[in-house]
Amino acid sequence: MPQLAQSSATTEIAEWLADRVADYLCLDPADVTPTVPLAEYGLDSVLAGALCGDIEDRFAILVDPTLAFDYPTVELIAEFLAAETAQGAGRVARRGAR
Amino acid sequence: MTRFAKLGTEVTRCETFIGITRQQAEDHGDKVLYTFLPEAAGEPPERVTYHEIDRAARAIASGLVDRGAGGANVLLLYPSGRQFVEAFLGCLYAGATAVPAPLPTARRHHVEPFLGIVRSADVAAVLTLAGALPMVAGLLSQAGVAAPCLSTDTDPVGDPDAWRMPVIGPDALAFLQYTSGSTSAPKGVMVSHLNLIENERLIAKRFAAHPGTVSGGWLPFYHDMGLIGQILTPIVTGGSAVVMSPVAFLKRPYRWLKLISDYGVQVSGGPNFGYEMCAQRVTDEQVAQLDLSQWRLAYNGAEPVRAETMRSFAARFAPAGFRPRAWFPCYGLAEATLMVTGGTSRLEPVVLPVSAAQLEQRTIAAPENADDERLLVSSGAPSAHEVLVVDPERRLPLPVGSVGEIWVRGSSVARGYWREAAATARTFGATTATGSGGFLRTGDLGAVIDGELVVTGRLKEVMIIAGRNIYPQDIELEAQGAHPALADRISAAFSVEADGERVVIVQEVRPELFKEASPASVAAALRRHLTQRLELRVGSVVLVAPGAIPRTTSGKIQRTLSRQIFLDGDLPALHEESEAAVADRRRITAAAS
Repeated sequence: MPQLAQSSATTEIAEWLADRVADYLCLDPADVTPTVPLAEYGLDSVLAGALCGDIEDRFAILVDPTLAFDYPTVELIAEFLAAETAQGAGRVARRGAR
Repeated sequence: MTRFAKLGTEVTRCETFIGITRQQAEDHGDKVLYTFLPEAAGEPPERVTYHEIDRAARAIASGLVDRGAGGANVLLLYPSGRQFVEAFLGCLYAGATAVPAPLPTARRHHVEPFLGIVRSADVAAVLTLAGALPMVAGLLSQAGVAAPCLSTDTDPVGDPDAWRMPVIGPDALAFLQYTSGSTSAPKGVMVSHLNLIENERLIAKRFAAHPGTVSGGWLPFYHDMGLIGQILTPIVTGGSAVVMSPVAFLKRPYRWLKLISDYGVQVSGGPNFGYEMCAQRVTDEQVAQLDLSQWRLAYNGAEPVRAETMRSFAARFAPAGFRPRAWFPCYGLAEATLMVTGGTSRLEPVVLPVSAAQLEQRTIAAPENADDERLLVSSGAPSAHEVLVVDPERRLPLPVGSVGEIWVRGSSVARGYWREAAATARTFGATTATGSGGFLRTGDLGAVIDGELVVTGRLKEVMIIAGRNIYPQDIELEAQGAHPALADRISAAFSVEADGERVVIVQEVRPELFKEASPASVAAALRRHLTQRLELRVGSVVLVAPGAIPRTTSGKIQRTLSRQIFLDGDLPALHEESEAAVADRRRITAAAS
């Protein structure tokens, strides 16, 4: 798998995501490690739906609630979103390569 | 006389739901029955009239009969939208038994429940969307099921004008509801046409619904409240419904309230967690855009109703015109088709503060202090059913004010579980010690107080999380796959009331395991695996030594006792990771015991 460089866009998105996840789960954002699977923090389908809603509002793209299962960590979601927004808005998220 | 009495006598005389739908199509023809909002905001809604739905049902029914599936069990796999309703009514019109189920994805944790239903239901045909056909056909052949699969959204399935009314009576099955039973052993509740009609009469009466009533919501159609309460009730009453997808609701709960506001919806509802999501996530700017003053009936059921949620929702949306008098807490279960009780004769639902500790002992008493307080919400007075509160061990009916198992008898109690004679006899044919028979044992605990039914908890071990029935056996089975060292170890799963119902799993491990893997990593692996496989949030993971989980002499896991020991703080944990709310609940209980 190609090594993706940690761009500033990805970092900013990751921080925002960690903040959202922390908000839903009543955690301190500092306690949400970007490389730890969200399932370990307790993200279920209700919360995954909520995260998708926020992502859709901020990035103006459509995402499927399976996003959190296809990209199981904050870092992976951030990389996906950075790539999606670099390539233009309006595409429906597809299952990513692992 | 209630408003229900104003329903056309032709409708009330119909023996089957087919007759009712046909009569309403004749009376209301070009009136819009359903408005389906698309998932993407900004796209136009899809409107369907009574006549159009009747015609689509006749076409599908003809197609089913042509293929020999009239009178058989037909599986329906659809997202919650127009095609589902057409297919559902198409089954009924064919004299077939509809078996609604969520459309599976290829993910393993969706496939197993799907296969469980397919094997249990003895399916003769499958209806789905064209886009899903290859995947569904693949899953069926994987299961060794040879039923034909048809798509109903592209090519015509049959000739609507060739349709003939099937010769069936009111006791014929309308559909099977698979919301009961664990994933490994699902049970299909058999709902007859008579059961459905009788329960709809009760719902329509309690909703005071009539042809002018605009209802709607976000509930999934394969779930009893979504199907019967939200989708089928407008057909019976001659009203209309505006509905949105459950996925769209989870992404943006505001859209439900916007639907109610934009369309002047008067009757809408759902499980408690839906109201909780709105109270937490809708912004002040969004509240300012809503007008909820027409919303005269907000039903809340399918999972425990929480007074705290009702209060925070009402406070949050008061500026939008939401009226607390709209609250309609209700109680029901699939085994009783849907509704048993609902609403209140008082101005607002009764909220009863009781002692949490005493409630664990099945006693209603005043709270000792603020930490001990639990708020119960009444679910309304029994009307169409006979409701008893019964001592579950001795089967003696209990006096008013005592907590016991809720037993129900009436014409909308379903006929049993499909092909499960033993479970049917245990659940549906119960007799009290005083000789009264034919009762449904609900497995729920409650009491009748001031004439209203107050549900207090559950006798069975099933947990209700975000409107889903979660069985401990399913969690325990999945736990074995979380780590190689857990493959032959036992666990006990149960829930505790801690700011909502939270799952606790107690897992036996050999302490030697911690030489190779840290306790934290094992706990994390277990939590991650359960969340991924079951889409379930775990409130607490506790690792214990072998033998720490209490078992009967025959080796059966004692989950209720495990739960008590956990709450008392007496479980010898090797390692524990609990959400703050669970730890607080345990601390309070342990201090009081």
